[in-house]
Formats: sequence, C-alpha cells, structure tokens
Amino acid sequence: MSKLNLLALDFPPVSHLFEWPDFAFHGTPLAMNKTVLIYLFAFALTLGLFLLSGSKKGLVPRGISHVAEGGINFVEDSIVMQTMGAEGKKYVPFLTTMFFFIFFSNIFEVIPFIQFPANARMAVPIAMALMVWVIYNFLGVKNQGFFGYIKNSLFPPGVPKALYIIVTPIEFFSVFIIRPLSLAIRLWANMVAGHLLLVTFAVLSATLWDSTYVGAVAPAAMLTLMTGFEILVSFLQAFIFTILTAVYMGGAIHPEH
Amino acid sequence: MKKRFVIAFISGSLLLTLGMTGTASASGESVGSCAIEEIEAFEEETGLSLHDLHGGGNEEALQTLSDSVEGCIEAPSPIIPEVNEIIWGGGAFLVLLALMLWKGFPAVQKIMNERSEKIASDLDEADKAKADAQAVKSQYEAELADAKSAAAAVLEEARQQAEVLRSDLQARAETEIAEMKSQAASDIEAAHDRAMGDLQSEVADIVVGAAERVVEANLDAEAQARLIDNYIDQVGSN
Repeated sequence: MSKLNLLALDFPPVSHLFEWPDFAFHGTPLAMNKTVLIYLFAFALTLGLFLLSGSKKGLVPRGISHVAEGGINFVEDSIVMQTMGAEGKKYVPFLTTMFFFIFFSNIFEVIPFIQFPANARMAVPIAMALMVWVIYNFLGVKNQGFFGYIKNSLFPPGVPKALYIIVTPIEFFSVFIIRPLSLAIRLWANMVAGHLLLVTFAVLSATLWDSTYVGAVAPAAMLTLMTGFEILVSFLQAFIFTILTAVYMGGAIHPEH
Repeated sequence: MKKRFVIAFISGSLLLTLGMTGTASASGESVGSCAIEEIEAFEEETGLSLHDLHGGGNEEALQTLSDSVEGCIEAPSPIIPEVNEIIWGGGAFLVLLALMLWKGFPAVQKIMNERSEKIASDLDEADKAKADAQAVKSQYEAELADAKSAAAAVLEEARQQAEVLRSDLQARAETEIAEMKSQAASDIEAAHDRAMGDLQSEVADIVVGAAERVVEANLDAEAQARLIDNYIDQVGSN
C-alpha cells in the first residue's frame, strides 16, 4: 500500500482536472463545457473592459479606464516599440486584444469557484499560435516577397555557405514548424503545471485538515503562496505569448533585425 | 444604456459560468470512485460479481474489467485539442478581435488621443501665454526705462533751471545789496553832512555864547563870524 493511500489522499485522475462534461449541444462540434464558458467570459471581459473605458466621459482616466489604457500603453511601449518599432504601432490593437484575452483566460485559475485556467486546454493556445503563424508568414511574404522571405528565413546572411547544409533545415523547422508549436505548448504547459500545483496543494491541505488539522498549515501556506505565484504566471504567459508574436511579426517585416 | 448592457452581459456570463460548471476542479471525481463506478457498471452489464471472478476461469471478463478500471487512471492525451473548444475558443478570439478593431479599441484610443491633443494644446497655450507675458514684461521694462530716463531728464532740466534761477536771484540780490549799500552810504553821508551842519551851528551858538561870557567883549558881527568859522574849521580838522 502506498504512502499516499495511508494518508487517505484521494487525488482525482488527471483527466478529471482538465476535462469537463458537456452541458449543452452534447456530442456536437459546438458542445459547451466549462472551458468554453471561460473563453466566452474572457471574451466578454476584454470587450466589456474596452467598451466601458471608451464610454467614460471626461479626459481624466478613472477606475476601469486605467486598466484598458494601461494595457494599451503597456503593449505599445513594452512590446511593440521594443520589438517592431514605430512601424508596428498599427498592430497594437491586435496584440492588445491577444494579451487581454489570454490573460483573462489564464486568471480564472485563481478565481474562487471557477479555478481553472482555460489555456490549460490546448484549444486556444494552438488556435492562436496557428493564427500567429499565418499572420507572420503573410507579413513576411508581403514585405519581402515570396522568394525573398524564403531566402531570408532559410539562408540567414553572414553564415558560411557550407554551413547552410546544417543551418537551412534547422531554420526551416524553427521558423515554419517549431515556432507555432513552441508558442502554444509554452502557454498550455505552464497553465497545466500551475493548475496541477494548485490542485495538489489544495487536495493535500484538505486531506491533512481532515486527519490532523495542524498538518494542513504547511500545504495551505504553500497553496496561498502558489496562488499568488500563479497570478504572476497568468500575466507573464500572456506577456510572453504576445511579445513572441510581436517578435515573429517584426522579424517578418524587418528581416535585417 | 450601452454601459448597462455591457455590465449585464458580463454579469450574465459570470453567473452562467458559475452556475453551470460546478465547483473547483479539485472537487472532481476521484480514482477510487471512478473504479467503483466501473466495477458497478461491469457487474450490471455482465451480471458477474467480483467474487465470481476470484475463482478463475473467467479471464476474459477479468481482463475487460481490468482495462476499464485502468481507464480511470489513464488520461487521454491532454495535448490533443478538442474540436468544440477550438471552435468556441478560436471563434471567440476572432469575434473579439473584430469587435475590438471595430468598436472597443478605437473608443479608448479616441479618448487617449483627445487627451494627448488636449495636453499638447494646453502646453502650446501655456507657452503662448508665457511668451505673451514675456513680451508684456519686456514692454513694461522698456516703458519703465523710458519713464526713468524721462524723469531723469526732467530732473536735470529742473536742476538747470533752478541753477539759472539761483544765479539770477543771487545776481539780483547782489545788485540790490550793492544798491542798498550805496544808498545806505549816500544816506549816511547825507545824514553825516546834515548832522555836521547842525552840529556846526549848534557849536557856533554855544561857542558864541561862551565867548561872550568869557571875553565879555562886544565884537562886531563880522569879526565874530570869522572868529567862529576859524574855530570850527580848526575843530573840524581835529
């Protein structure tokens, strides 16, 4: 008998932590579950945030306006200007939307009674990563021409020609295959890991509370600490996804960088 | 109206999420309860109980049960996305992006731009007001300098006039004093002469009287006059 069983630790199967039963349109491609509702809520929150901020009268920002305007400034100053320069300002709306949508989808990880990061499911990370793949390839072809883009992507200048035998396949996999996958998996895996950590400490706290009371102090403290940490991770992963998107788009627009 | 609609939309979404999804993930079904459910389902389907399997001879049914119970601890690959979640999640993002590009972002951007323009315009106005104030100050300073120089000129002119006046008055006073001195000298001389004449006749009378009493002689008038004049001249030369 394992130690975990001795402690009566009843840990739910991993699939039960991430897969939610359908509550509408069962068995159809439009089946709705908890994850879908969180996506819709993230959608409503992002849109609502901007519509409410946009409807505020007066030039002095108040309340919710700080969040929307701060978000725009953050994306513009810390992401676009750092990676794409002034030319990238026209992509600020796209990147801001992406940032807030990912952030709100993530932050439900620590919202009481919901406590699930929607991006711990692969759907949105992979869908958005593929969208980014299409966008940066389109921008590359548009700005450099098809052959120019392929040449600059697969044959980076300054590399000795003999090395192209090695470099070109690597670049091909890196630019056209690995990028979207790494983008999606990074976000998804971080949220999965965070959710597992929180569930582990929560189950441990509950079990030890039932048996010993005092023993629950340490895991409960860790649970509190990890909850704070996961708020940071939610923000950080939204930031990383957005800034990498901007980097890929900037690279497609300005190959020399 | 629009604001109320947005708030209602968000609140409704939250209530729906809370109401239809149950509690937190950690409260989900456990491995143990899953296994029990599988065993119960197996017993119901096959009509066999676990005791029946203990005896052996029913390896196929045991394998089936074993497989289904193992399913409780085997999770499907979590990296494979669900189609319905892709449709809803990806669709939500695309619709959100369209709505944000259409309404959400421009509304906030407009306010931010208006604020930037207002601040820039206020700064321009402040610069202009400062420049105006500077110009007015320069003008006042120039006028003040002019006034000061005009006042200095007036003072100089007054001083010169005063000097001229003083010189005139002094010259006139000196003239008058000289005239008065001359007049006084003349008056003194006249008074002196007059006094001398009076004194002379007075003294003559006294002398005549005295001489008459001294010599008690009766001199003729001509001799007396001559004698007196000689005496007076002698007294005057002394």
